[in-house]
Amino acid sequence: MIKTANVTKTVTTTEGDLQILQPISFEVNTGESIAIIGASGSGKSTLLGLLAGLDEVSEGEIFLDDAPLHNMDEEARAVLRGQKVGFIFQSFMLVQSLTALENVMLPAEIAGLDNPKKRAQDILEQVGLSHRAHHYPNQLSGGEQQRVAIARAFITQPKILFADEPTGNLDAANGKKVEELLFNLNKEQGTTLVLVTHDNTLAQQCDRQLTMQGGVLTESTLIGVEDRKEAV
Amino acid sequence: MTMITNLAWRLFKHEARRGELTIILLAIVLSVSAVLSLSLFSERLQQALKSRSAAFIAADTQLRSDKPVDEAWLAEAQSRELQTAQRISARSMVFGEENMSLVDLRAVNSTYPLKGDITVSDMPFGSPEVIDGLPEPGHAWIQSRLFQTLDIELGDQVEIGDSLFTVSRVLIDIPDAGFSVFNTDPIVLIRLQDIEATSVVGPGSRADYVSYFAGNDGALEDYYDWLSPQLNREVHRWRAVSDDDSAIGRSVASAERYFLLASLLAIVLAAVSIAVAAQRYSQRHYDPVAIMKTLGATKSTIRWVYLFQVVFIALAGIFIGVIIGLVGQQLVVWALADRVDVALDVWHWRPFFIAVFTGGICALLFSLYPLMQLFSIPPLRVLRRDMNASLSSKGIQFLSAGSAIFLLMFAYSRNLEISLILFVSGVALVVGLVAVTYGLILIGRKLGAGSMGPWQLAWARIRRRAMDNSVQLISFSVTIMLLLVVLVMRNDMVEQWRSQLPEGTPNYFLINITPEQKDALDTHFSQRDVSIDAFYPVTRGRFASVNGESVRTSVSKEDEGEGESSRQGLGREANLTWSNLLQKENNVVEGTWHGGLDTTDFAASGVYPVSVEQEIAMRLDIKMGDNLTFNIGSEIVNTEVTSIRTVNWQTMQPNFFFIIHPEAMEAFRPTYITSFFLPTERKPELTSLLQPFSSITMFDVDARINQLREIVDQVSVAVEFILVLVLAAGSLVLIAQVQASMDERRQELAILRTLGAKGKLIRQSVVFEFVIIGLVAGGMAALANELSLYMLQSRVFQMESSIHLEYWLIAPLVGAIVVGILGALGCWRLLALNTSQLLRKMV
Repeated sequence: MIKTANVTKTVTTTEGDLQILQPISFEVNTGESIAIIGASGSGKSTLLGLLAGLDEVSEGEIFLDDAPLHNMDEEARAVLRGQKVGFIFQSFMLVQSLTALENVMLPAEIAGLDNPKKRAQDILEQVGLSHRAHHYPNQLSGGEQQRVAIARAFITQPKILFADEPTGNLDAANGKKVEELLFNLNKEQGTTLVLVTHDNTLAQQCDRQLTMQGGVLTESTLIGVEDRKEAV
Repeated sequence: MTMITNLAWRLFKHEARRGELTIILLAIVLSVSAVLSLSLFSERLQQALKSRSAAFIAADTQLRSDKPVDEAWLAEAQSRELQTAQRISARSMVFGEENMSLVDLRAVNSTYPLKGDITVSDMPFGSPEVIDGLPEPGHAWIQSRLFQTLDIELGDQVEIGDSLFTVSRVLIDIPDAGFSVFNTDPIVLIRLQDIEATSVVGPGSRADYVSYFAGNDGALEDYYDWLSPQLNREVHRWRAVSDDDSAIGRSVASAERYFLLASLLAIVLAAVSIAVAAQRYSQRHYDPVAIMKTLGATKSTIRWVYLFQVVFIALAGIFIGVIIGLVGQQLVVWALADRVDVALDVWHWRPFFIAVFTGGICALLFSLYPLMQLFSIPPLRVLRRDMNASLSSKGIQFLSAGSAIFLLMFAYSRNLEISLILFVSGVALVVGLVAVTYGLILIGRKLGAGSMGPWQLAWARIRRRAMDNSVQLISFSVTIMLLLVVLVMRNDMVEQWRSQLPEGTPNYFLINITPEQKDALDTHFSQRDVSIDAFYPVTRGRFASVNGESVRTSVSKEDEGEGESSRQGLGREANLTWSNLLQKENNVVEGTWHGGLDTTDFAASGVYPVSVEQEIAMRLDIKMGDNLTFNIGSEIVNTEVTSIRTVNWQTMQPNFFFIIHPEAMEAFRPTYITSFFLPTERKPELTSLLQPFSSITMFDVDARINQLREIVDQVSVAVEFILVLVLAAGSLVLIAQVQASMDERRQELAILRTLGAKGKLIRQSVVFEFVIIGLVAGGMAALANELSLYMLQSRVFQMESSIHLEYWLIAPLVGAIVVGILGALGCWRLLALNTSQLLRKMV
């Protein structure tokens, strides 16, 4: 589903060029879930931005469901994101001026799916927030906001889901709830999941863990799908 | 497209409901309503003033001619649905039983006057009554003083040329009698059809043929376009109300320019507030745009979603603005109804279109750059919150906003000069302000150091938010400057109008005072507590030759080339005076005033100095050093032009074309002219005042002066109203700016609160920050105000420009106080929220 070859990222600073990602190559299979772990500033969010097509690589190749991201312009990448990608962010990133229901409808509308409202109502029901559908984000608790974000991420039934510290802003109880929801929906829809976190427990739930350190990505302990099932 | 409009509408709806659009909507509403109410009111007022002024020329326009005009011209005007009237006037002798007098004979057709009223009375100097009619054929209406001169009564007959007329009424006034007090003869009004029989007008005689036109402006302009190529400039003179150089004409013209200026400033104010609001709006939407892009929205989707929103906001703003503008100006018109005569039923489309156009253009042009910034927000912002718009050239922003403002001003005023003056001052201000901002940052670096008190926090913020602050500083300064311009312009203009007719301006004039009566008159009047002005000696003299070349005594064109001199003369006797003192409102523009000249040489040569009024010198082709000869009775007086003067003919004082050195006139027995002021309520005392001096002739200009004063008062009231409107608009802009900047402060306040900063510290630091900004903005505004006032007054308003030192103190002070208070209020509103609410609002 995701294939990268010698991907680097270099940024220009006042003190010259700075390479924040050393050549990275790895693959993620369809339906697989991977966790990218690492300390703050290690470059994991940069990698996530590149994989999701939010940013451009300096060198190397990225294929997302066989589409060559490195050769696509921002417009083409946007269309691809709309069709195949879902996102969940640490800071929820809901549009403040839209209600929960409208936030969930947004990707469906952008992708041109029919009945966006019905779809949004159904999925809000699934995340247990149908009673909060007409509330604005700042009227919801953090946990509720993240559940809305999860609903929004899954409404287009994306092939790939990128999650950036999805439980980072939540307390333990809410974090647990969101975690369960995320993995359940992921399993239900057979989505490929790329998760960036520094929370080892969360990372343990993924099929593979990749560790980012100083811009270098290394594959850490491999836990097979079967093992994970046992662990759960 | 449905998805895009749906999304745009949904965002618009929610934002509006949550009050997020209030500022930008308010800015558009403000611009539309201010422009609409200002221009609608000023259009109505101008119309009212114009029709009032039209009464002074008895029409909207006059065509004056030395020869009869082609009948076809009048027919053409009528076919264009213009009203027309005609008058032939000539100077002629009128004979009573025993006496005779030179009069201004006016023969008018039945449609005269097209504008204004004729007033008559039952007795000479009686109280005026408006009459809807004209003398019957064979009848004449004559002015009061002619009854004195001719010693006749109502019903008597007078002889004019070859005809006899019955005097059936006392004529008090006709609309276009003119304001000139001197060199005028009493008016005799007769019917046009009677003039031929008098034989007064014929070959060789000098007559004025006046055609009057009235109708709507467009039709008049079209007609003039048609007529213009056929006019002979030597013979024909086209005169509109706006060409009126009288005190009223000039007051109306400068009031019109003031309204224009005020409306222009309202547009600029509105534009500034929209730019501020649009910038805010754009910044608040960085996140939603990044989110939408992340979720797969293409650039064109985003562009349309936001353009539609701008359209929705503009439409809503224009709609609400139009309603408020209409209601507002209607309320004011009602409130002013008894003070200013404004026609309520007249609807003008131009202001409406201008307002809508302004709203639309402002909303689009001033939100264009912020929107372009918004569109350039990268989707990566969802991960890296510090990522902002990649498009960030302030230069382009100022350039585009500047040219948009200039275009708006020019499109609206169609006056390149006013637009350029305001624009150049604005640019100078902006450049100055950018320099000052950077200066402040440097100072701030020093002052902001040390422990964190409110001052330090304020300076630190000013330094850190340098670019934002420079935009804010510029908008505050521009607003304050525009308010100052409108305020000071109004003060100077109204003062100038009022000074034309100060309290106690003489309203009665006396002529034909013999030297023996002079002292007696003075004593008699002062006993009755009426003070009399200076006495001017006058003698009637005929202007005979220039440098030995005799001048024509008659100037009708028919005379030309008939052997008489080709040099033009006055065509009548002139009032000659002599004096060593230069009168008030007289300015020597060439040569030296003869009061100080050594006359020994003159006495020896028998040629004495004379001072000539500039316009008559130009008309009669008289130059410095020319020898002018006057015939006074059987005597000849030789003079040499030693000075040329300009004269303010609007002053209510005797003014003269020729002022001769007193030594030249010692041999002549003059009569005297003087004037005095008598309050209107003391009018009944006139008869007893003048009773001992039956040979003296009196001119009553009281009504004229009151009319003039009334108009000046009305215009002043209107100007004051407009001042209040612009002030209100300006204050709202200031509030909008402070509010917008408060949004930006929310995060910082939340952090400071969270860290345990006391409300007092935060409040003080915010107030200090605004006080500093207000102080600097006020100072800069005073400077720019001086620059634009200088240019406006000297180039556009033809006024004497002056320095307004008091505003150098007032502007920074008021700037600091007002902006400081607004800042305190905005801050107080934020601090009323608890910290968690503040933090939540940040998300």
